[in-house]
Amino acid sequence: MVVIGLEIHAQLKTQEKIFCGCPTNYRDTEANENVCPTCTGQPGSKPMALNQKALDNVIKIALALQCELKRDILIQRKHYFYPDLPSGYQRTSKPIGINGKLGDVRIREVHIEEDPGRYELRKGTVDYNRSGVPLVEIVTEPDIKTPEEARMFLEELTAILEYLNARRDEPGSSRIDANLSIAGGTRVEVKNINSFKGVYTALMYEQVRQQNMIRRGAKVVMETRHFDEVSGTTVGLRKKETEEDYRYFPDPDIPPVLITKEMIEKVKKEIPELPRQKSERFVSDYGIKPDDAWILVSEIELANLFEDMVKEYKDKGQALASWIRGPLKKQLNYRNLLFKDSGLKKKDVVELFNEFSLSKITDDGMEMALIAMLDKKTSYADVKLALNLVKIDDTAELEGIVKEVISKNPKAVEDYRKGGGKSLNFLVGQVVKLTKGRADSRVVKELIKKKIG
Amino acid sequence: MPAFDIEKRLEQVIATIRKADPEVKAYVEVFDADAKDRVKEVKERIAKGKAGKLAGMVVSVKNNIAIKGKRMTCSSKMLETYYAPYNATVIERLEKEDAIIIGTTNMDEFACGSDTTHSALHWTRNPRDLGRVPGGSCGGSAAAVASDMCDASIGSDTGGSIRCPAAFCGVVGFKPTYGAVSRYGLADMAMSLDQIGPMASDVATAEKIFDVIKGKDKRDPITDVYKDKKGKIEVVGVPKEFFDGVDPKIASATKKAIQKLEKEYEIAEVSMPSIKYAIPTYYLLMCAEFSSAMQKYDGLRYGAAADRTKDLYQAFEVARGSNFGKEVKRRILLGTYITMKEFKESWYTQTLRARKIIQDEFNSILKKCDVLAGPAMPVLPWKFGEKLDPIELYSADILTVSANLAGLPAGVVPAGEVSGLPIAVQIHGRHFEDKSVLEVMKKLE
Repeated sequence: MVVIGLEIHAQLKTQEKIFCGCPTNYRDTEANENVCPTCTGQPGSKPMALNQKALDNVIKIALALQCELKRDILIQRKHYFYPDLPSGYQRTSKPIGINGKLGDVRIREVHIEEDPGRYELRKGTVDYNRSGVPLVEIVTEPDIKTPEEARMFLEELTAILEYLNARRDEPGSSRIDANLSIAGGTRVEVKNINSFKGVYTALMYEQVRQQNMIRRGAKVVMETRHFDEVSGTTVGLRKKETEEDYRYFPDPDIPPVLITKEMIEKVKKEIPELPRQKSERFVSDYGIKPDDAWILVSEIELANLFEDMVKEYKDKGQALASWIRGPLKKQLNYRNLLFKDSGLKKKDVVELFNEFSLSKITDDGMEMALIAMLDKKTSYADVKLALNLVKIDDTAELEGIVKEVISKNPKAVEDYRKGGGKSLNFLVGQVVKLTKGRADSRVVKELIKKKIG
Repeated sequence: MPAFDIEKRLEQVIATIRKADPEVKAYVEVFDADAKDRVKEVKERIAKGKAGKLAGMVVSVKNNIAIKGKRMTCSSKMLETYYAPYNATVIERLEKEDAIIIGTTNMDEFACGSDTTHSALHWTRNPRDLGRVPGGSCGGSAAAVASDMCDASIGSDTGGSIRCPAAFCGVVGFKPTYGAVSRYGLADMAMSLDQIGPMASDVATAEKIFDVIKGKDKRDPITDVYKDKKGKIEVVGVPKEFFDGVDPKIASATKKAIQKLEKEYEIAEVSMPSIKYAIPTYYLLMCAEFSSAMQKYDGLRYGAAADRTKDLYQAFEVARGSNFGKEVKRRILLGTYITMKEFKESWYTQTLRARKIIQDEFNSILKKCDVLAGPAMPVLPWKFGEKLDPIELYSADILTVSANLAGLPAGVVPAGEVSGLPIAVQIHGRHFEDKSVLEVMKKLE
């Protein structure tokens, strides 16, 4: 039996840092530009009041994860020495939300804390631009049973953070600590994993490593390990600090912040329909498959695209869902893009899908159009012209091309006649290639069969 | 009456510093050139009728308060080469009202001490008797005021750091209500107790400064609750426990001084039994907070430099080990131990409850009385080299720490002499009724 728990740190979307007025766009400026006495821990500096926007975001997240909210927010200091930590302690709150739930995974707590700076070990330099960027930490109970489940949980959580518009929207804005133990072993924590894929890889590696140890009769020790992204392995780091070493105590500079009814009411209004509910509604309202619905709602812009379009294609809900999940998502994934960052305009997508669904263009033509629209950032109308996508419906024209292909590939024709199905596909491919995707492969297949069958 | 010439006054102060400071050693640094430039500007503004409320007042500043571009040593080797990159809020407010900053004053290292002998820079002598300590931790500020090396000084008070040296040197010292003056720019000692306040040779000058530096500041959110409350003054309470363990000569001189108030107010003896918890409560909270405040000094960013060729943790150890003084280390170690216990909320949080008891008792007495009067220090300034163990030293704070624990305003005002050395009366008041405390202090002058 495998038991997995996760701690997710995500940077909250705010203009200003958590305890000072410095801007949070730490990647966009020269090192140590976005700093002040407070976020560099100068002697005599003081924290300003807790950033209200950050706080609103944390409350929003806690509510979306069905947590019970605490009455007030208590900031504590967690002490340790490291070059990226200018005060020698990190400010971190006591739990703000507790006993929440996402699917089958219980959420132990949600709290707020400050990000440290960025220390470059090899160069020996520190950039404090990031110091003081507000973070939410979400801690699960050890309710996850497989690395795959962990991946799915993180996917849903990411979607929720996106729906709430609560997370900084850039690479590296989330870091995850994952702990895993298997029956007969003990809890091992893998720290600072930077991507969700990384979490899956790290957990798979840990699961196998620990299983092997137990099989060999070795003892799994309680430790903290580091994930190496390149090799996909984990390495032992150091003896885990105990809570005692961090010397947590209430920050004397920051009085407790009351969570008021008004705050909660205001935040509640900003919580939209969440992915899980949206997905269920898509299934019931539009009769699409749950799997497809889930993919659609994974990105709010994609879900909105679907919902905008489905009104015009009422009877084709499933076809539309399949198309978005299939060809469109495939091209986006290939480019590692979200729909909102793809540059695709709704109008073009509508036109493309419309022509495709009316069989005005072929499967291949549709795919080529998508590729061109994504890579050349052009409108569908331009792509259609440039690629001459209109399907060849003239059978005589097609027959001519088929004839040409057959005469040029006698070996393939012979193989087909001997029963080689693959050769038929090859011949169809040749025709499609010659027509630059304008021939409907199903029609071509029939034509070839008729000719040489 | 001829107009007061602020330029002449500055020259006079600088001359006094040249003459007296080589012996008293109140200052860390004197900015005479800056001050002379500044006084000319202020003079011009006076001529134009645009001068600020403190025009020409010559003010020194305890060296744990940030003045942009000036060294902020906290009298520690750790910060001997640290130049503050910004101004404390109080410095901004003083300069806006045309005060002349004349220099920075010596103190116990990071404000840890009651006699300024824990300065890593040099000792400061008591101008009233050069063989004795000036008190601390603002020993430099009190000595500078007492020997007319400035008109006033800005100090900080965590457990009596303004009031102890003011009493020892025979000057006025005032610790405002916690939250009345922004601490932005004051190096942390114990954050729930630290407060900035003025020292001067008379109450009116101290009050003028207080009026300029007080008020809300978004860079220090504890000032959010600030308000200017005007309270009536009818009854002066004298808690009998304030005289327990006080040198009998000081006790009787203090009582005599307090009697002066009978003309105007009703004097009532009251009881404040919880004061016996004040010292342990104070030292436990202070050390815990102090150890946390000291975490940032690792030799990487500023001040004493850590050896970068060494392993990181070794480098921190050496930087801290060789640049902190003995008293600072003692308090860091005590505080580290206390905060290690805190993860079970066993000590610090418990002590906050004891603090609450003291606060409640003050508040209930201050329902019946409007201010409280008593002695400031239980002993006279001691001689250099007089052997005092830490516990004896800590006990000398018994009368001052409770104002910090309760967050109340408290001031000391000279009240004559005992054995040729100055003593003082201390007045406590209600939260944000700072002005009442100052008013009663004036009656004692």
